[in-house]
Amino acid sequence: MTLIHPLQNILTSRDGSLVFAIVKNCIISFKYQSSNHWDFVGQWSDNFDKAQDVKVNVAKEQQRQISENENKNKKLKSNKGDSITKAEAKIPSPGIGAPPIYSYIRNLKLTPDESKLIACADSDKSVLIFDVDKTSKSNVLKLTKRFSFPKRPNAISIADDGATIIVADKFGDVYSIGIDSNPKEKFTQEPILGHVSMLTDVHMIKDSDGRQFIITCDRDEHIKISHYPQCYIVDKWLFGHKHFVSSICCDENNMLLSAGGDDRIFSWDWKTGVNLSSFEYSDLIKPYLNDQHLAPSRFQNEENNLIEFAVSKIVKLSGLPFVAFFVEATKCIIILEISRKDKGKLSLKQVITLPYNVISLSTQNNELQVTLDNQKSPNIQNNFAKFIQYDSSDNKFVVNDKKSTKFDDAIRQSIQGDSNLDAEKEDIYPLYNISSLRKHGEHYS
Amino acid sequence: MKAKPLSQDPGSKRYAYRINKEGNRKELKHVKIDESSLVQEGQKIDLPKKRYYRQRAHSNPFSDHQLEYPASPQDMDWSKLYPYYKDAETDQMTKKVTIADIGCGFGGLMIDLSPAFPEELILGMEIRVQVTNYVEDRIIALRNNTASKHGFQNINVLRGNAMKFLPNFFEKGQLSKMFFCFPDPHFKQRKHKARIITNTLLSEYAYVLKEGGVVYTITDVKDLHEWMVKHLEEHPLFKRLSKEWEDNDKCVKIMTNATEEGKKVERKKGDKFVACFTRLPTPSIL
Repeated sequence: MTLIHPLQNILTSRDGSLVFAIVKNCIISFKYQSSNHWDFVGQWSDNFDKAQDVKVNVAKEQQRQISENENKNKKLKSNKGDSITKAEAKIPSPGIGAPPIYSYIRNLKLTPDESKLIACADSDKSVLIFDVDKTSKSNVLKLTKRFSFPKRPNAISIADDGATIIVADKFGDVYSIGIDSNPKEKFTQEPILGHVSMLTDVHMIKDSDGRQFIITCDRDEHIKISHYPQCYIVDKWLFGHKHFVSSICCDENNMLLSAGGDDRIFSWDWKTGVNLSSFEYSDLIKPYLNDQHLAPSRFQNEENNLIEFAVSKIVKLSGLPFVAFFVEATKCIIILEISRKDKGKLSLKQVITLPYNVISLSTQNNELQVTLDNQKSPNIQNNFAKFIQYDSSDNKFVVNDKKSTKFDDAIRQSIQGDSNLDAEKEDIYPLYNISSLRKHGEHYS
Repeated sequence: MKAKPLSQDPGSKRYAYRINKEGNRKELKHVKIDESSLVQEGQKIDLPKKRYYRQRAHSNPFSDHQLEYPASPQDMDWSKLYPYYKDAETDQMTKKVTIADIGCGFGGLMIDLSPAFPEELILGMEIRVQVTNYVEDRIIALRNNTASKHGFQNINVLRGNAMKFLPNFFEKGQLSKMFFCFPDPHFKQRKHKARIITNTLLSEYAYVLKEGGVVYTITDVKDLHEWMVKHLEEHPLFKRLSKEWEDNDKCVKIMTNATEEGKKVERKKGDKFVACFTRLPTPSIL
């Protein structure tokens, strides 16, 4: 039996009834029925033809060069002196040994009214906007717009009013697009703010006076807070990280939590800029580390024991004083409690061990949704995702086994045999991308 | 086999020179040079020779260089760069850096600014290692040779990437002047983000500049000049200063004539395009 590709990301609607998941270059959707049953209700694949895109660009470049040469009066001439017309531009095709190209889909987000789903596609570096029709039985997803960007979008945030999407790209620039605006033929937008470093996360937040801010973090150690809509006014930077920042999340009371290549989680009052506290997790994670955490060979030490690990994602449970995070390529979720008395102080709440490495983490209400790298499942593939709920009577987090198992069943029943979503071991998308963000400046001059 | 570059060939003059200077630099870089130390040493230091500090003219501002920078402005130990301005009793700096020369090159501008602004601390930032070393050696020699007058105590240089780490060095509104002299033009359109003036970086320069502070730009590349003017004019926190203002400003004079690049353009009879902008007051927050 072929392997179903592990889920790269998952998102649930506020009432928990709809679930979206990313598998390879597809978004699949399930409806959770009260009878503890999952219905397969939608699928969308990114079939954007990259070759076509390349063709257009190559043709454009050829045109540009021809006109440039004409301007320089350097007309192409053959030996006999007649001018020659150039053949149609060759489209470069990747040779043997070229790295494979993956059409990742990233960053699932629902607008506040949950009428639209936003995602980013790597294929044409675009932001996708879907209409979500919760009542549809055949397909809840309908792609309505596709905004293509010059550089790959890496994180998005949606404004409170649901009208604006803030897009942070891998080149360090942040753009704002109106959800109701239409994609233009030619990209002419100027960034509203930027870093000179890869952006890893972006959040749009409001203070108690209703003023809006954009918080961005990057592959250097920076967390920058800018005003919105006056994005040209930088409010402040939050200094403290010694390595890259990969993920941030916000809490009420102006609290911000950040994590990345450091061995600690930071909590901040972003309004005053004060670093409230930090929580060191290196001892906690030690039992979960494995060979995947050895530093890349070119940065490895002579004893071959240099270990590097990084937090992939940190999320705040809304309405509860808890944050959850996971370290890339480990089998556990760590949950911390945020002290309300001693502002920003973090303490260990619970560690939840899972059967496989965690790939993604998200949250809705009192629930954490986790997807797992279940390539090594025995005969019947299970453990695609786990739903972990906070039980207030017991005051602890527990895996909802029934819901999770039913979800596994639904996945197998609905998409097994779909050649788009199957995967041989060798064409599994790279699932661990965070550790490569680590800078090794000492190895460069 | 490919021959080693001169700088790594132990038999070469350049290698010997660099080793010698490095030793000197390590010893003197952070030392407070004054008359007493001079009496002990009892000798003058020769100014460094540029030919021993050759390096590629360009550096990629996006790459992960081995850079030293403080975790935050509060963590920066300025007394190492300006030992003369450290109060021995309180252990505190008596002054803060207020003038920054971004991409200071061989340091000509700072050396002329130093006597013109004796009350201000001036910092040059340069991304190329050898060029930074040259400026350090030059400052060590100048400080040493003018020790009786405490000359050149108010300038120094550090190797850094101002596009990435400027806010690690300076607090909000700390600077009164920023110089961008003959920056790398990055002609290709796709390299434009590597230019030192972009609309997104200007917001960061506006953060470290105090209201009423001045951004000075000069270049011999018309296209780059127009680019810088366009972006500064479009930025809501900057306003261009008049030609008349430029004509009366001593920094403009120094900037036009002092820098090595400026002199080179002079020799080649090239154009010099100057544009200065003031940092407008921050508008009320919406």
